[in-house]
Amino acid sequence: MLSVLLVGMNYLYKAFFLEKDIQKYSDVINLVRAIPNDADIVYIGESSNITFRSDDLDKRPISAFIADHYPNLKVYDITKPASHAGIYKVLLENIPDSSNVSTVIVTLNLRSFNAQWIHSKLETALQKSLVLLKPNPPLYNRFLLSFKAYDIKSDKERDRQVQREWEKEEFDVPFDFQFSNVEEWDNYVAKEGVNNPDGSRNQELTELACHYIKGYAFQIDTVNNPRIKDFNRIIQLTKERGWNLVFNLLAENTERAKELVGDDLLYFIQGNRELLIGYYTHKGITVVDNVDDVENDLFVDQNWTTEHYAEKGRKTIAGNVADSLKKYYPDHYVDIDYKTFVQTVFFNDCDQRTIWGQMQTITDEEAYSGKSSSKTGKGNDYSITFEYPLKIIPDSLKNEISIHMKVYRNSLSDNGKLVIQAQGEHTDYYWNGFELKEQVRKANSWEDYHYTFSIPDNIKQADLIKIYVYNPSGENVFVDDFHIEFE
Amino acid sequence: MLFNTIDFVLFLPLVIILYYMIPHKYRWIMLLVASYYFYMSWKVEYVFLIVLSTLIDYISGIQMAKLPDKKSRRPWLILSLLTNLGLLFAFKYFNFVGANVNLLFQNFNIFHEVPLMNVLLPVGISFYTFQTLSYSIDVYYGKQKAEKHLGYFALYVSFFPQLVAGPIERFSRLTPQLKEKHNFSYANLANGLRLILYGLFIKMVIADNLSGIVDQVYTAPEKFASSDILTALIFYSFQIYSDFYGYSVIAIGSALIMGIHIMDNFKTPYLAKNISEFWQRWHISLSTWFRDYLYFPLGGNRVAKQRWILNILAVFIISGFWHGANWTFIIWGSLFGVIYLIEYLINKSFSLSKEYKAYSFGHLFLALKTFVLVTLIWVFFRSQSFNEAIDMFALLFNVNRVTEATLVIPLSTWIFLIVFVVSDILLYNTRFDTWIGRFPMLFRWTMYSILIFSIIAFAGVENFPFIYFQF
Repeated sequence: MLSVLLVGMNYLYKAFFLEKDIQKYSDVINLVRAIPNDADIVYIGESSNITFRSDDLDKRPISAFIADHYPNLKVYDITKPASHAGIYKVLLENIPDSSNVSTVIVTLNLRSFNAQWIHSKLETALQKSLVLLKPNPPLYNRFLLSFKAYDIKSDKERDRQVQREWEKEEFDVPFDFQFSNVEEWDNYVAKEGVNNPDGSRNQELTELACHYIKGYAFQIDTVNNPRIKDFNRIIQLTKERGWNLVFNLLAENTERAKELVGDDLLYFIQGNRELLIGYYTHKGITVVDNVDDVENDLFVDQNWTTEHYAEKGRKTIAGNVADSLKKYYPDHYVDIDYKTFVQTVFFNDCDQRTIWGQMQTITDEEAYSGKSSSKTGKGNDYSITFEYPLKIIPDSLKNEISIHMKVYRNSLSDNGKLVIQAQGEHTDYYWNGFELKEQVRKANSWEDYHYTFSIPDNIKQADLIKIYVYNPSGENVFVDDFHIEFE
Repeated sequence: MLFNTIDFVLFLPLVIILYYMIPHKYRWIMLLVASYYFYMSWKVEYVFLIVLSTLIDYISGIQMAKLPDKKSRRPWLILSLLTNLGLLFAFKYFNFVGANVNLLFQNFNIFHEVPLMNVLLPVGISFYTFQTLSYSIDVYYGKQKAEKHLGYFALYVSFFPQLVAGPIERFSRLTPQLKEKHNFSYANLANGLRLILYGLFIKMVIADNLSGIVDQVYTAPEKFASSDILTALIFYSFQIYSDFYGYSVIAIGSALIMGIHIMDNFKTPYLAKNISEFWQRWHISLSTWFRDYLYFPLGGNRVAKQRWILNILAVFIISGFWHGANWTFIIWGSLFGVIYLIEYLINKSFSLSKEYKAYSFGHLFLALKTFVLVTLIWVFFRSQSFNEAIDMFALLFNVNRVTEATLVIPLSTWIFLIVFVVSDILLYNTRFDTWIGRFPMLFRWTMYSILIFSIIAFAGVENFPFIYFQF
């Protein structure tokens, strides 16, 4: 009787409650769902993919730079900040069998093998977000979620785990080294301090040096490190699904590590790097080694250990990855010299992957694709805004701008316009608006809007061109899948 | 190990299977091991505190039993009191006292700081120390024979269903049951499972869903309208009730499957007509503990009026302090004491007729009044500091601030809350296992199905430990 009841309950739950719960507790799945079935390559990673420096001209993610090298292939990304291989594995499992994906590029972050990351306070929330996505009957997954059947620990417990590893994991090095574990090394540096040129203690640098020690002074144990197990499961999964697999070993700020702590710390970084490359190459996996490829000044965060790179750094890594993909797609590869390469196609699906201006207008009230769109109306006159230095595009590629987008009007009484604005030191201010209502004549449904704009000669050298929707009416107009192409 | 985790879902059936498989004379060993494992799954080291408390009280009991009079027994009682209250003081109250002494020193420009300790409060320490203290005091007064079997005594102190949050059982009630041979009984199994099911429902579906909403308001009350704050206050009344009641019901159900009857800890307290009755229906095992081991020894009501008033206040203040080392708990207890006395005086002056109280309308009005008072007093219980509590009241009564209610409450939360209130009224002076047992099978299984489905599909998913674990 209980079995019959449970089967019935499972049906009921799946039919009426599952999707709501997924959106509430496991909306990370939307990152996977946003990948179209015809995608060829999936790049999966954490914030290193999307983080940019404010002065970057091109703020696109690493995955988009990889796509530049393969213009005939469809490259999509799954970016989940602060995540790791354990999360990637569950997300990859959720790519449907019907998908065309043939290659998966997985971020291999050296620091994700350290104690701080393994026992991160974010782990409970991350693990919780995966429970409903496991390949079990939905009601059983909800049971596991309700009864906390995942790695659930308090922040204090996590702190204790980290501390225990720093104290108990002894270094195994082939030279005389005065410290036997992270705790000793960290305490010593904290006590002795990093000094300024005048010999005085520099507290900020001292804390940073300690942070580098905690971040990099570890030796990966391939038997017990949970991250190794996660990556091995990904290897297993990609074999089952017949995908090519590339591990993208991210660049670390080794220059800064050497400067702050010295060669001893580099020994640990290089040791782990060699171990990972050897371990996975032996398993037949392509490992792209970027560890030393990004210079100190291309790291966005100068006072912390992160894998966040400025534009040139992201392009370097993308170039390395693209190079490694040649063996899978020899006929599709395009060599790009970013010194001469000019991007002419831009796209924003309003799902926070691509950063344009006015991102505060992103809302999940309505969406054509993914989960969000940009909302204009009461209090928000301007939609997400494309901004680009028009002058860097060669004249031959900027005769026209083809603009496609999806528009959703709450009523037909708004006065929303597509606006093209240009300005610059040597360019007169230019502003032109085109009524949305000329093409979008239905309310409360997503409609296509397309406009081809001939670029006047007098703005071709503008320092900045802006494209956005302007809607001062107070009536809501939503915009999604903004596609801009210079032709 | 929490009752609402997968660990307990696996642990309990295993213990019960072993319990009925093992010959009676060895069951205590299995239960003791299981109870220690249950406790150690939270923090291994702190099991030594239970062991210490157990050994001292066991030895004190044995020694007191050998001595002829109270005077000669007194040193052993003092040893027991010092050990248990010392543990409580060290782990629960030391930092509170130290911080206040430091504050006092600062005010008098004394530049000395009492160092504070960085230790976790051992789960359930207030419960098991009080449980074992009741044994020592009973042996001291000659009301209870000393237990010679260390194993059974240790099991009395650590019996897992009620170890970390009660009910605080008396030795004379629990230990004979632990010693008695219980054969498997379908009725006990059915009733125990019914209670566990209902307990899980009110903890996981009611308390845990209310918890998120209450926390949201208490975290940043200034962002919410007065109506939202009022909602949060009312929700907290139901949250703490369903949280603690849920725990107690699961504990009772778990023990019942093994044939052991643990005392009821709640009897629809929010239908109490006054504060006095509220405390006869809320956390009954603690109320009766304070009655028997503090109020009566202080003279109870067989003393002069002024002394009686002091006795009442002392019991409520100490009861408040038992809950937590914070001035908010002391104020919380004091307020109950003051209102208890005011209600006593009003009842004496304007005695309501029994007929009026018996009428549904009269009962409803008085219960509503008690509920409002208790809800307001809970503000001190829930707040982290006195100032936070005062801020909550200021924001509650200053209706001219934010006018738009912004607190989002899912429809399902309202529905389940109404279901809980109705079920609580239906269970007035009865228990879920008895109540549901009266109905035909079809109705029972429909109810079970709804409860199981609700627990799985609607349980709050955040990790909210039982509130009383912190005590």
